[in-house]
Amino acid sequence: MDWLFRSDFDGITTAALWSIVAVLATTVVLFAYTMGLRAATILGQRRRTKFVDAWRKVFANAMLSEDAAENCPLPHVARSDRTDLLEEWNHARSIVEGSAADNLIILARRAGVPALALKRLRKRRVRPQILAAQTFGHLRDLEFRDDIRQLLDHENTALSITAAVALVEIDADFAIPIIVPMIEKRRDWPKNRVSILLRMAGSERISEPLYRAIRSADDRNKTYLLQFAQLVEAEVLDALVNELIRDSNDPGVLNAALKLVSGFSGVPRIAALTQHDTWFVRMQSANVLGRIGQEEHLSLLESLLDDKEWWVRYRAAQAIAALPFLGPNQLRHLRDQQTDPYAADILQQSMAEVGLA
Amino acid sequence: MTLQDVVLSGQWVFLAYFVGINVGYLMQNVVAAFGIRRYLQTAEQYEAESVFSSLDIPISVIVPAFNESASIITSVKALLQLEYPQYELIVVNDGSTDDTLKKLVDEFRMQEFPEAYRTRVPCASVRGIYKSTQQNNLRVVDKVNGGSKADASNAGVNMARYPLVCIVDADSVLQPDALRRVVQPFLEDPATVAVGGTVRISNGCTVRQGFLEKVALPSNYLALVQVVEYLRAFLFGRMGWSPINGLLIISGAFGLFHKETLVEAGGYNPDAVGEDMELVLRLHRLMKAKRKPYRITFVPDPVCWTDAPTNLRDLKSQRVRWQHGLGQALALNKSLITNPRGGAVTWVAIPFYLIFELFGPIVEVAGYLFIIICALMGWIAWPQACIFLGLAIGLGVLLSTSAIMLEELSFHMYPRIRQLGLLYLIAIVENFGFRQLTAIWRLQGLIRWLRGGKHEWETLTRSANLADETEATGPQA
Repeated sequence: MDWLFRSDFDGITTAALWSIVAVLATTVVLFAYTMGLRAATILGQRRRTKFVDAWRKVFANAMLSEDAAENCPLPHVARSDRTDLLEEWNHARSIVEGSAADNLIILARRAGVPALALKRLRKRRVRPQILAAQTFGHLRDLEFRDDIRQLLDHENTALSITAAVALVEIDADFAIPIIVPMIEKRRDWPKNRVSILLRMAGSERISEPLYRAIRSADDRNKTYLLQFAQLVEAEVLDALVNELIRDSNDPGVLNAALKLVSGFSGVPRIAALTQHDTWFVRMQSANVLGRIGQEEHLSLLESLLDDKEWWVRYRAAQAIAALPFLGPNQLRHLRDQQTDPYAADILQQSMAEVGLA
Repeated sequence: MTLQDVVLSGQWVFLAYFVGINVGYLMQNVVAAFGIRRYLQTAEQYEAESVFSSLDIPISVIVPAFNESASIITSVKALLQLEYPQYELIVVNDGSTDDTLKKLVDEFRMQEFPEAYRTRVPCASVRGIYKSTQQNNLRVVDKVNGGSKADASNAGVNMARYPLVCIVDADSVLQPDALRRVVQPFLEDPATVAVGGTVRISNGCTVRQGFLEKVALPSNYLALVQVVEYLRAFLFGRMGWSPINGLLIISGAFGLFHKETLVEAGGYNPDAVGEDMELVLRLHRLMKAKRKPYRITFVPDPVCWTDAPTNLRDLKSQRVRWQHGLGQALALNKSLITNPRGGAVTWVAIPFYLIFELFGPIVEVAGYLFIIICALMGWIAWPQACIFLGLAIGLGVLLSTSAIMLEELSFHMYPRIRQLGLLYLIAIVENFGFRQLTAIWRLQGLIRWLRGGKHEWETLTRSANLADETEATGPQA
């Protein structure tokens, strides 16, 4: 190997040579690591399958009988099986409610699930903490309520939203007044998860805090929070929507509020909004009039058929086609009367959609 | 300047290129590894409690089709079974000369429908719109052939009713939960304007009723090499750019876009050879001009499986087209290159693409010739030439090894040890012949772009993954 360092080899070539050594070594390490990982995965899967099969039978029996939950023999849990036990128990617990859920909680206490979860809660890594939060939520364990409360402010989205869900499971009365004001600030929380959380808490619990949060929010946050307003009690929703439609002039808020209209109050204001400057407010008001409008609103809807925005024309045409007091012949007559080709085309399409073309 | 000076200067140019491209790739690798780790931690947890709600954003799935008679019914049936609460399917028949339209009309009992079609982005004229009497969410647009997939996609965008549009190749096989996975960035960050997903090679896999049933490796050598290539391209190519918002391409086979932003950008460019990349660059340009925060991002989940060329003719055609498209897309959006507020796109991604991806083939092919000539003429010592060649090959293998490791750490789609071993073997073998061949094809693509070549719909030889309605199993390794 003495030719390596001969005088006609410059420094770059020597560096290249050593780079080859480094690259080869790294490649071999990565290769060995990947193969080792695969071998470990295969072995782990086999072990896990065996472990899970044994525990699933125990979970199934426990779900059906309190006696089984209290007295059935428990399969051995090796150190390497502990996370699997938590995951499997959480999975089983998440698909049942009522007495089956209570029995699973009894079984979990016997199997030492709370202690395993606590160990993970005390770790610094996010993943075990998420599993722990989920477990305490499913255990509905008040003892750890404040520990879970601490996690709500965690910067990691998955951990904080999991903690929020868990807190609702543990003590919804305690959780909702804390969580609802956080929703507008934690925009990183996925909306579908927030929706699930609110639904879990129940409309009677969330109505008041959400109503207050929406009323006190600025227009931008109002628009955001209104996405969850359909989950509040019907009378609270009606009051909120009427108030917002009456008092607000922000297009975003009006748009969100109009989507939630279900009653007949506030129709004159909604009719007036068909002339709003912002196209999506005109579109939503046409939409609402299609559901709750009366004969006097037909001319308003007709005037929207040649709106410059396609969606406004489309929704107005759909609204007209859905008006209960207009029969097929009247609709055809209305279509034939249109002088604007856009208006006639869109009405024709909407009629075809309901089989009246 | 003496010959010796030329040789020495050449050495420095190649060395700088070599160091630059490999440092770039290794950095992407590191960024991707962290990105995938973070993504998986979050995704796994959400998956545990994934429940659809009314807050999921409705999606219009657009399928441009030109002469897809053999596979269109299976594709559409599979697309109608995607796991997503609210979506519509718009098939655009781009003036097919076969019976694509007739098959659709017969199979799904479609009737011509008087829809008030509006042109928001330019495309060739529409001949008719059909609505299924069986499937409420299925419509077919029959239009005059516009000569490109871009033109057909634009017709679909004009028809779309929902806020997000997903463009899917008619011959792609989607994972059933593809939409749910790819919509996640839109739910998490409202500033998201486009999302791409990982595309994998379907050759060798078992496809039943339009869905992937069993993942396997192809026995065809060219397809096998492309499996490793795609792992590199998506797992650290795309994933490396995404965290710095420097993603310049979302695969045309599967991409999800915010419709209004897409319309504002003018839709797909029918004259672009690489319409997918050109659109993403234009979206960057639009959003930079508006000075609004935005995200163009990528989910590493394997959401879409596509058929890879299995013969040299088709592969060459594809690579020439990709390089042509890259040059054209960068040229059409050259204002991004000089935009001082261009962020990571202007300062990192585009220079990398320009130097190493676009003009890289010139240096690579010249490098091969240079080494051969110099070595034959005795101007470079053989040991030195071998050392640099060995390093180039070693780094190539290292990058592929790393991509395979990322795959194993994340999605481990290839379950058998033998399959992993085969991928490693390919990672070594591809450096002898395949890599040089693709460099030459890319150079041809570059020349074609510089000479102003034109491109139209291309029909590649398919391995018939979707052609059979019951089962189609390609050769497996």
